Amino acid sequence: MWDTARMDVKRVVDVARVQPEDAASGTPVDKAPDPKLGYDVIPAARYFSPDYMKLEWERIWTKVWLLGGRADDIPNPGDYICTEIGKESVLIVRQHDGSIRCFPNVCLHRGNRLRPEGLGNAEQFRCMYHHWTYGLDGAIERLPDLCTFPQGGPPGMTLPSLPCVEWNSFVWYSLNPDVEPFDDYIAPLKEHLEPYHPERMAWKRDVTVEWDCNWKASVDAFNETYHVQGIHPQLLWYLDDVNVQIDCYERHNRYLIPFATISPRVAMPSQIPPAIHEIMVNAGMDPAEYEGRISEIRRDVQIFKRKHGKAQGKDYSALNDDQLTDDYHYMIFPNLALNVHADDVLMFRQRPHATDPNKMYYDVWVFELVPEGEPWPERVKHRRFRHGDRSIGQVLDQDAYNLPTVQLGMQSESFPGLWIGEQELRIRHFHKVLDDYIYGSDGKRPGDL
Amino acid sequence: MDLGLQGKKAIVVGGVRGIGYAVAETLAREGCDIALSARSEDGVKDAVASLSRYGTKIVGKPVNVKRVDEYKAWLEWAIEALDGVDVLIPLSSAGGGIGSEKYWYNAFETDVMGPVRAVEAVIPVMTERKSGSIVFVATTSALEAMGGPQPYNAMKTSLITYGKQLALAHGKDGIRVNVVSPGPVEFEGGNWDMIKGTMEKFYQSQLRQQPMGRLGRPEEIARAIVFLASDAASWCSGSHLVVDGAFTNRTHF
Repeated sequence: MWDTARMDVKRVVDVARVQPEDAASGTPVDKAPDPKLGYDVIPAARYFSPDYMKLEWERIWTKVWLLGGRADDIPNPGDYICTEIGKESVLIVRQHDGSIRCFPNVCLHRGNRLRPEGLGNAEQFRCMYHHWTYGLDGAIERLPDLCTFPQGGPPGMTLPSLPCVEWNSFVWYSLNPDVEPFDDYIAPLKEHLEPYHPERMAWKRDVTVEWDCNWKASVDAFNETYHVQGIHPQLLWYLDDVNVQIDCYERHNRYLIPFATISPRVAMPSQIPPAIHEIMVNAGMDPAEYEGRISEIRRDVQIFKRKHGKAQGKDYSALNDDQLTDDYHYMIFPNLALNVHADDVLMFRQRPHATDPNKMYYDVWVFELVPEGEPWPERVKHRRFRHGDRSIGQVLDQDAYNLPTVQLGMQSESFPGLWIGEQELRIRHFHKVLDDYIYGSDGKRPGDL
Repeated sequence: MDLGLQGKKAIVVGGVRGIGYAVAETLAREGCDIALSARSEDGVKDAVASLSRYGTKIVGKPVNVKRVDEYKAWLEWAIEALDGVDVLIPLSSAGGGIGSEKYWYNAFETDVMGPVRAVEAVIPVMTERKSGSIVFVATTSALEAMGGPQPYNAMKTSLITYGKQLALAHGKDGIRVNVVSPGPVEFEGGNWDMIKGTMEKFYQSQLRQQPMGRLGRPEEIARAIVFLASDAASWCSGSHLVVDGAFTNRTHF
């Protein structure tokens, strides 16, 4: 842990945190020992090299578990999610028995895509070219003029099956038929994330933005709090970007950021800042009635929510007090960033472009707790646009702003690679896990990216 | 020009930050003994320690002016600790806020009754000594639309009226009462510091409206307040001084 007193701060703040013994049954709060990952430069070429992109495809994207979508988007038999990763497209389909199955979204005849990306419902999947027709289970139900194929139909007369699971209101799939069990892959995050009960939350935003940067530049952008003082000055009156707990696990990692508090980088104000005012209002408090000091608001919001949550139809019983205000920010390898909160989840899925390492797709998914007794809101429509065409909100616009120029600058002959500090440990950890997948147990050799 | 403040005794309610602290510091430099308050114990402690370097008597104690009994006791304590009072400058404020009805009560109790109760405590002492000076701090938000319709603006406005009436009533007792209305003032930890960080575009738009291209500094307001508080302003009473770098549009006939 860095010395907060020697950083560029105005005040030294001692943040009260929930202790491990008080969080025994819920999300673990223990500080994981920091991995010793050295201080090497992370090679910039990882972000633009077609060779490295190919290695990522062969050894990561086609090997790991990937997030497909939300289970509540496919409640009924025949409901499906069609989602893309790189050059691949898959169908995740709800079966008649309530289970889900996953198939490549490709007709076995001439290779046509069966469905466009998005959500839908089908009684069967009929290719629009020659009407080869597949059941919900992937079996070929109709192959017109089968008798004109002396070799018969494709093997097994079925689409190949891909691994898929439902977990914690989300559906996951893998392009790797031999992928390890999902529980092993996601460990230890099940016990971390299940207490948030995202199944009680409904879609609030569903946006995909095309960004002109490598997908890892986006992962990095959300994997450290050091940038807050650089690009989010307004958040210094909203969160503590200095007293951050970083925990690195086997392949995933997280940080815990106190919210509803003032950054040590700025002087303590005498009025409640607008964004903290909003936190109080959302909790059901009247900031005008508040008699405490601004430094006490975080704790008082926790106490208030603990006391009044139930009456508001919000069951916080599985969460610890810090989770009622703070940002527990998880990175699920390789491409998910989740800001999980008691009342909402703000998450990003970062997907590579099919062919260009300098482009990516940034999916913003927001879910909000639906209080008990309130009607489940209509699902929001998915929107898709290019970076800069529309605002995605002040904070995310600020996050996105530098990425195209980062991508350009990284390709300079004068830039060997990323010069990473302690506040960016998660970036180093992410690249260590990339190394593990790409170079295996033998490790990197000299000259490897 | 000698302000004649050497050896005077001043009460500054809300004297540990921003304009209040600058007032206390200006008074201390001029040789005043000071009793000051704030809500925060740490704030009071720091201010007392810092102001003591000017060599006068500086005392302080935390108090919440909304707690009437506590506040009245504080005022009695301050007068006793200073062994009298020549100058009263009550600056405590609940600040802005729109929406909840509670903001009206907050502004009334802090911005209005804070000064009112302080005046009631010092008037008998000043009357007996046939000398005293009181300065209220209102705001240019009382004069022109600013920040939307809100209790802060309306309640601060009442100090301008009340100050004039006090001046009329107590001139015979040797007590002068004046009001200073500052324009937007920026200091570390102040609202405009926060606005600069959280709403940069709005902040810049405010700067563009400033004839002098900048916001005020606490000491610029403090010097005007301390002048009116001092014997140098011996025939200034019932006046209302706007200190805003010409920011307000109206002509102050």
